[in-house]
Amino acid sequence: MEEKTIISFANVAAAYDNATEVLTDVSFNISSGTFYFLSGASGAGKTTLLRLIYMLHKPLRGQIKLFGKNTAELSRDDIANLHHKMAIVFQEYSLLSHMTVFDNVALPLRVRGIEEAKVKKLVTKVLDWVGLGKYADVKPMELSGGQQQRVSVARAIIIQPSILLADEPTGNLDDENASRLMELFIQMNKLFGTTIILATHNKKLMETYKFPIINVENHRLNFVGKASTPADSKKVWRGPAPKNYFSELSKQFEDIGNA
Amino acid sequence: MKRATVFSLVREQSVFMTVIMALLNFLAVMSLGIALMIGTGVVRWNAQWDLYATVQVTNSANESKVQKILNENKSQITELREISDTEMVALMRPWISGGGQLKNYLPKMWEVKFKSESDLTNISKNISQYGRVLTHADALSPSTSAGWQMILIATLILAMTLGTIAACVSYIARNTAMLHKHELEILNQVGATDSFIAHQMQIIVTKICIAAGAIGFVAAAPVLMLVLSAAHAARVGLIATLAINGFGWGCLAITPVLITVFAIWMTRRTTLKILQNN
Repeated sequence: MEEKTIISFANVAAAYDNATEVLTDVSFNISSGTFYFLSGASGAGKTTLLRLIYMLHKPLRGQIKLFGKNTAELSRDDIANLHHKMAIVFQEYSLLSHMTVFDNVALPLRVRGIEEAKVKKLVTKVLDWVGLGKYADVKPMELSGGQQQRVSVARAIIIQPSILLADEPTGNLDDENASRLMELFIQMNKLFGTTIILATHNKKLMETYKFPIINVENHRLNFVGKASTPADSKKVWRGPAPKNYFSELSKQFEDIGNA
Repeated sequence: MKRATVFSLVREQSVFMTVIMALLNFLAVMSLGIALMIGTGVVRWNAQWDLYATVQVTNSANESKVQKILNENKSQITELREISDTEMVALMRPWISGGGQLKNYLPKMWEVKFKSESDLTNISKNISQYGRVLTHADALSPSTSAGWQMILIATLILAMTLGTIAACVSYIARNTAMLHKHELEILNQVGATDSFIAHQMQIIVTKICIAAGAIGFVAAAPVLMLVLSAAHAARVGLIATLAINGFGWGCLAITPVLITVFAIWMTRRTTLKILQNN
């Protein structure tokens, strides 16, 4: 395994309730800082793959390593600690309907025990940044699908994850907001070396952004295209390494709008 | 800004659980209160008779010897009263009516109050060679025994109530976890440790228990006072000695607090178990 490998699968199979295998003998290595699209027909196993990486689902067999650690050997607290370096965005948003937008976005910080003053500062910033600052006190159900998706994205990126998994994050967005969200992910990948796997059906998106594709077909994966890391590619940000995560990103997306 | 708990507890769910817990708190305070008031009554009842004894002499040849012992130990005796034949006949009338002949068969009797228990023991030992000494505590032991049995029953009810509270709290935690699988999944996604999730669950249970404890105590206290006033109306006998002192009321007030602490501990234990088996 290479030194920079962040996700490693070796002969992994997955099934639900011991029924037919959704994924069979999946083996691959993903290096730190790469960006992949994940494509495949509905029900092919894209979400299962993301759930396996995120340790929300246990493999039937095989070995998964994250950050060099065998996930089968991790305790529940170890998994929770690894989740502090990872984030996932689901198509169905996974927001808590009884909590405000602010509290939803603050959740990952609060579970880490970050002090409330800092939580308030960071959440306000990230909400402003995704264009939802004025919706901080409303419940997610009062927002449109696109806005809820952005709340979900805000909650994922607020922790500056090393790995970001996104399951059809642009599925509920119009083209303009979908491309803005893509730009946001690309900036995260380029500026901070976040490893991103983005599941999508959107062919236009895959054609526009020429990232390598992990294709799920017949319960197996095949990789199309060569992965590049931020070190290989032309960086958008040319200055010194940014110290303030959100202010640097917000320069790129000051007017993300409210879809 | 008010910090929201992760688990949403719907109104009906929280009202139902608060009502159940309030009822259990009421039962716990009631059973402990009854145990305490009977306990206090029995102790007071016993203390009242600890230094009393009745001396009976059936052999008239020994009367002067017993009288001599009593006279010699006057300094150790607080009260000495000879029970007259008339009093004895009056006491026996419901069962015996021997007419004038009965007098010949009556023992010579004294009711004695000693200064201390050691005086009672020592003097009783001397008298026992010539007559029978029966302490009031021994004579009234059936009442005392009934009192202890009532305490035992009240304690059993308390234990059963605490057991039900444990089951109820465990149910609240399980029910909340089952109803909020979605929230659990989201917490899992954002990197919440089991300890954090258990803490969130504890916040819910604490809120329910504080409300339920207050309701339970406020409902039980007047009922206990009503029982006490009814008991005091009896004026004589064990029932009239029932009481709850300041320490007892303190114990009763602390019961809902202890139940809340127990519920918090139980919630943590159950939640961690549920999460580990998930």
